[in-house]
Amino acid sequence: MTVHAEWTKLRTLPSTTWLGLTVLVATVAFSALATLAVDTSQCPTPTECFEDTTRVSLWGVRVAQVAVAVLAVLAVTNEYGNGLIQTTLAANPRRWTVLAAKAAVVTALVLAAAVPGVLGSLLAGRFILPGNGFAPANGYPPLSLADEPTLRAAVGTVLYLGLVALLAIGVGTAVRDTAGAMIVVFTLLFSFPVVTQLVSDPKWQERLEKVAPMTSGLAVQATTALERQPIGPWAGLGVLAGWAGAALLVGALLFRFRDA
Amino acid sequence: MTATTTPSGAGFAGLLRAEWTKLRSVRRWALTMLAAIALTVLISLLSAASSSFQTMGGSAPPIGPDGVQVQDTFRFVHQPMTGNGEVTARVLEQSGVEGVIAGWAKAGIMIKDGARPGARYAAMLLTPGHGVRWQTNFVVDRAGSAGGTAPVWLRLTRTGDTLTGYESTDGTNWRQVGSAELSGLPETAEVGIFVASPNFVRVERQFSGTSVSATPTWSTARFDNVGVRPAGAPSAAQWRDEEIGVIGLGGPDAAGGPAAPEGPGAPDTPDLPDAARVSGVPDSTGASTVTGTGDVAPRAPDEDLTRMSLSGVLIGLMPIVALGALFVTAEYRRGMIRTTFAASPRRGRVLAAKSLVLGAATFVAGLVACVTAFLASQPGQRASGYKPPYFPSQSLLDWPVSRAVVGTALVLALVAVFSLAVGTILRRSAAAITAVIVLIVLPQMVAGALPLTAAQWLMRLTPAAGLSIQQTAPRYEHVAGICLPESGCFVDGPWVGVGVLCGYVAVAVAVAYWLLRRRDA
Repeated sequence: MTVHAEWTKLRTLPSTTWLGLTVLVATVAFSALATLAVDTSQCPTPTECFEDTTRVSLWGVRVAQVAVAVLAVLAVTNEYGNGLIQTTLAANPRRWTVLAAKAAVVTALVLAAAVPGVLGSLLAGRFILPGNGFAPANGYPPLSLADEPTLRAAVGTVLYLGLVALLAIGVGTAVRDTAGAMIVVFTLLFSFPVVTQLVSDPKWQERLEKVAPMTSGLAVQATTALERQPIGPWAGLGVLAGWAGAALLVGALLFRFRDA
Repeated sequence: MTATTTPSGAGFAGLLRAEWTKLRSVRRWALTMLAAIALTVLISLLSAASSSFQTMGGSAPPIGPDGVQVQDTFRFVHQPMTGNGEVTARVLEQSGVEGVIAGWAKAGIMIKDGARPGARYAAMLLTPGHGVRWQTNFVVDRAGSAGGTAPVWLRLTRTGDTLTGYESTDGTNWRQVGSAELSGLPETAEVGIFVASPNFVRVERQFSGTSVSATPTWSTARFDNVGVRPAGAPSAAQWRDEEIGVIGLGGPDAAGGPAAPEGPGAPDTPDLPDAARVSGVPDSTGASTVTGTGDVAPRAPDEDLTRMSLSGVLIGLMPIVALGALFVTAEYRRGMIRTTFAASPRRGRVLAAKSLVLGAATFVAGLVACVTAFLASQPGQRASGYKPPYFPSQSLLDWPVSRAVVGTALVLALVAVFSLAVGTILRRSAAAITAVIVLIVLPQMVAGALPLTAAQWLMRLTPAAGLSIQQTAPRYEHVAGICLPESGCFVDGPWVGVGVLCGYVAVAVAVAYWLLRRRDA
């Protein structure tokens, strides 16, 4: 019932359709651009590229997550902007349920856009990469979901986008204002990688990469040289889940105990 | 229009006052401005505290006559020359010891104030990639005839403190390339032939990161007709063959100084291949073969400390973007814009007033943030090892530093106005903020993952180019460098980038103005 209501509200927001499409298209398009940009000719020898082809093929989510964050923030803050939240809470005063339903609906929508996006990116990579020298002859087997690390990267990337949506919902619920919530989410996601570039001490770089929601979350995309990643694939996704959980908790507590 | 019969000056002042009242009376906006200042300062402090610089054993790099740090490592076959005179040589051939030769490998003749690294000098030299050059005191460089290739005759004359360089293809018709006053050159200076070959810098960029490694190279040059006047026919005994600036390879007085530490990863004592020992003083006919490594050039600092101390603005501009968009989208949201336009129907002036007020307020806040960040980062940077003599201490009053500090505040103001204009165009906070963040912040993150030229163009053409104003290290045309966007390097000079950002602002404001007049509020 509550889920259905939330679904109707989300569905009828004009921004939802095109933001959902943007998630899908941006994932595939920017992933394809990234795979076009790598070439074995830039390496000493084609076999010594050490490029993580799966990771490159899924690169577009770094851009697509912007659309995910906007979609999730808007799903919450639009209701505050137009006062609909009063009606929602009058119809269903159980606020935990309202928030849970909203989170479930938004995340489901994001996952639904992410699955074809990720599959399309891998497919694009499978077609583009051999042309750039990442061919089986040079030791780069074609991307395949039958390959366990690639499957993990694909599933993990879909979950990554879902967790970014949850993080944005939590922040949106806590901040209630579109602009403010978006800036908080973007700062959380983007400031760590930017700061990591600025820091020259490798110890600090690793520390920052371990706690950053984006860098650690995307560690799940790694399929090669896992020992050189700052954090393990699932542990990294766990760090992002921690951020999302904390944001949701703060949002939920404020939502529960604050006047709407 | 009958409502606005007040003199236009007073009317616009009233508009400015109205916009200023709006800006300062929303408590959330004041907090946003404070958040931008706090983020800028905190991230800069973190960046200073968490970076570290380790010296690689050697002492500080030599300082050139103009006070800049220089690299002064080369093979110098020289003899003293007292008073006025000239030195001549023909460069027959220049080649790399291990196959490749750097474009800025140098072979030529030099007059130098002794063999001490960093001492003043004037040189005529040949390079494989850039022809004949006249270079003095590390920073001055002038091209000789285009396409100058070996064999070529070079000559330097000294008249008092005036040094003049000539080139010739036949040894009889001389063409002047450059002339300079080297005040303070002692009566007896060292003159001779020299060879240098800069490090080979290799960059590997992959999605997982960038690695830069520098390896020393050697080049060999064959000379003949080496002659010094008025010393007469120089006897072999007068010549001294020295490796300037390198420990243990030079003559008895070992060139006066230890090796200069080069870029990160550069070995401080290069392994000398056997071929490099092919070096000798000119024989009785004036023929000689010299092999050398190193470079005679200004030295790029390992880190631009001013840029580092202002790095926080990358994050601090995010709240500014939000504020800029909200300054107009909030009015659309609440319908306030209709009141605004009813009070002042000339919409262009409303946009101008908003831009001015927002730009000025952001500039002041940005200036506070940048000055605080710069001053507060100093102790942290020194604690992290960025201190004299490797890194000269810097002051807010030095021109490149004040340019960077004031320029960064200006960039913040421009970003705010850009965001305001985009907000006016899109009328939605969410859309406007996303658009501006994607244009300004995303390139910074994406650059490291793109091929080098694509990354450089991305940073030149997006509004993020404005941050090039933060660079303080001078660029020299005659030093090959690698410009990595992910380490904060911009291909263009400081003001070009600001110009690009200004272009974006101008276009956005123009479109906003056009739409504002055309559309219903």
